Amino acid sequence: MSNIVVLNSGAHRDVRVQAGASAKLGDNQRYVQVVVTEFPLLAVHYPILLSKDTETGAFFCGAMLGIDEGENLFLKEGGGHEGYRPLNLQRAPFFVSGNELAIDLEHPRVAAGKGEPLFNDNGEATPYLESIKAAFQELKPGIEMTKRFIQTLLLLDLLEPIDVILGFDDGSKRNLADLYTINQEALRKLPDASVVELFRRGYLQLIYLLIASLKQIPVLAQKKNSRFLSG
Amino acid sequence: MAQQIQSIVIVGGGTAGWLTAGVIAARHKARMKAGFSVTLIESPTVGIIGVGEGTWPSLRSTLEKMGVSETDLIRHSDAAFKQGAKFARWTTGAEDDGYYHPLMLPQGFTQLNLAPHWLSHSDGRSFSDSVCPQEQLCEDGLAPKTIATPEYKGAANYAYHLDAGKFAPFLQKHCTERLGVRHVPADVVSVNQTESGDIKSVVTRQAGEIAGDLFVDCTGFSSLLLGKTLGVGFKDCSDVLFCDAALALQVPYDAPDAPMASHTISTAQSAGWIWDIGLPTRRGTGYVYSTRHTSDAEAHETLMRYVGPQHRDRPVRKIPIRSGHRETFWKNNCVAVGLAAGFLEPLESSAIVLIELSAKLIAEQMPACREVMDIVAARFNDVNHYRWGRIIDFLKLHYVLTRRTDSGFWRDNLLPESIPERLKNLLQLWKYQSPWFFDEFDRLEEVFPAASYQYVLYGMGFRTEVGPMDNADTEATASRLLRESAVMTRQLRSQLPKNRDLIRKIHEHGLQRI
Repeated sequence: MSNIVVLNSGAHRDVRVQAGASAKLGDNQRYVQVVVTEFPLLAVHYPILLSKDTETGAFFCGAMLGIDEGENLFLKEGGGHEGYRPLNLQRAPFFVSGNELAIDLEHPRVAAGKGEPLFNDNGEATPYLESIKAAFQELKPGIEMTKRFIQTLLLLDLLEPIDVILGFDDGSKRNLADLYTINQEALRKLPDASVVELFRRGYLQLIYLLIASLKQIPVLAQKKNSRFLSG
Repeated sequence: MAQQIQSIVIVGGGTAGWLTAGVIAARHKARMKAGFSVTLIESPTVGIIGVGEGTWPSLRSTLEKMGVSETDLIRHSDAAFKQGAKFARWTTGAEDDGYYHPLMLPQGFTQLNLAPHWLSHSDGRSFSDSVCPQEQLCEDGLAPKTIATPEYKGAANYAYHLDAGKFAPFLQKHCTERLGVRHVPADVVSVNQTESGDIKSVVTRQAGEIAGDLFVDCTGFSSLLLGKTLGVGFKDCSDVLFCDAALALQVPYDAPDAPMASHTISTAQSAGWIWDIGLPTRRGTGYVYSTRHTSDAEAHETLMRYVGPQHRDRPVRKIPIRSGHRETFWKNNCVAVGLAAGFLEPLESSAIVLIELSAKLIAEQMPACREVMDIVAARFNDVNHYRWGRIIDFLKLHYVLTRRTDSGFWRDNLLPESIPERLKNLLQLWKYQSPWFFDEFDRLEEVFPAASYQYVLYGMGFRTEVGPMDNADTEATASRLLRESAVMTRQLRSQLPKNRDLIRKIHEHGLQRI
């Protein structure tokens, strides 16, 4: 159940939010939607792969944080997130509604009534709330920029499906389907004019970050494997 | 100096003309810079017949090769998914009499023939339901894919139902804008021939004389080039297939979001059968009947009973059906495609698939020069005689397995003199061995594969004898395949959206190409 309402310094003066990364509070996500401005921060930790929205079929970019459903291998035992925590995890339990910030009052981060306050005694936003606003200032235009980036990739036929098949020391196998990445063959064959265009729009760097992030797949698998080993 | 074949002239538009133009142009696109050309002359006054609203899965690869987007097809041809056909009342005529001819092959079809296993213990389930998921998907009104499935790919095999009146202009736009086909809207008034009988040019009222190296006759029933000009006769087959007329009627849905069947429904009547095809914006229905066995007025009443009295005032179109085909399909430098080559009752949607197969054969075997054209033509004729013969056999199969005796139409269909020899032999053979891909049906590009024969035979209660030890060696594999089919059925039923919902989503969001 959720109860999303527009945030109001009067009505929500006493609301507190548990902001830290935690599986119980909703960071237990295997695959999180990300935006292009995050790519440099993500690519050194996680594979960034594309997938399709099941409702619309539209492509989006996401960071792989785990292998199995509900598994984020970067959550620390006592709380907190190793590496960069994607904006989409940072922003919970907030949303935007038009130009206004909204909050889900039924979210587990809110329900307990403890954690970071949103407003100080003068009704002004706390540094925590400011950080949420900053996250949305990046996310909102970021989603649009990411859409345009993906449109360009599709137009140039630069995407291809990738089958990720992983074997673990406990003998189990995982087949991660419905994932897409850059078709490097097609990239090499691009005419010069398209390459320059991609470079000028800053897309070439994003493309190479996507490619480089594939190296994180074995790292991620190793991370999961070490959990099997440690029992 | 050999006379190169560079200029292809297609006379007639419609589905046949534009599909042929598109298939040839896409295949020879690179040669266009070197003088190869495809010209389509279409009468601005003659309308298209356009009853063919059912297609075969081959249309997916045909369109994909032409570079057509599936999203555009669905949006601009009022197209929806078709996963097979349900034949109601063909066997006994009773209310609950029906079977499916799905488009998916039986599970593991190329590994093992499941028919003898089903025959020895069917536990009351139909053949198609036991060996493939598609009967259930159709009963549930589900689509064969999801919005995240790439264009032309499917979780279940599928074809389309489409509006032929919109499909032809859609193809025209694609052919002229993307594939370099030259479109000449003009009426052909005369044909010039050389001494050898080859067609040299056609003379049009609006665009003068148009010369060509190879002419494709897509002029419909009139068969202007092959029939009228080159004098190729027509082989009538109404002695086998009795239906010779159709009444077509378009019926709106009760509500815009009413369920839309993802299969063709074909319901047998006293003198023929009624088709019922769900397009996104309307249903297309029609009664195909034998005028030797019923009157037009009675046929009209039958159709009205089927669609309901609330549709009594809607316009009904009568279409003559002359079952048969040209005695030769390619003569001199002229080849016929579509209705100009022949026509059969639309029982198994064979019209458009035959166009595709012919167009593909012409495109792939395009003679390099006039000197070798007769060799290609002879091979084309062989293949087409075979195909038409097999389709006629397959359509007749639907009639000869009936147990209906309630009207002259059904009784006459069982008269031995109306059944082709080859079909008689096969029916004899099938009493002891079931058709499978590992027999003569395993031809390259068989129009109806052995699986289709299985679905119709066992759907209509035909029995093939199975010896007590026949299945012993393959029992384990068969149970595994049947289990796999059941698992796949469960999975697909839980994953696939309703046919109507997916079409709406494709209109909204489109499908991805990958």
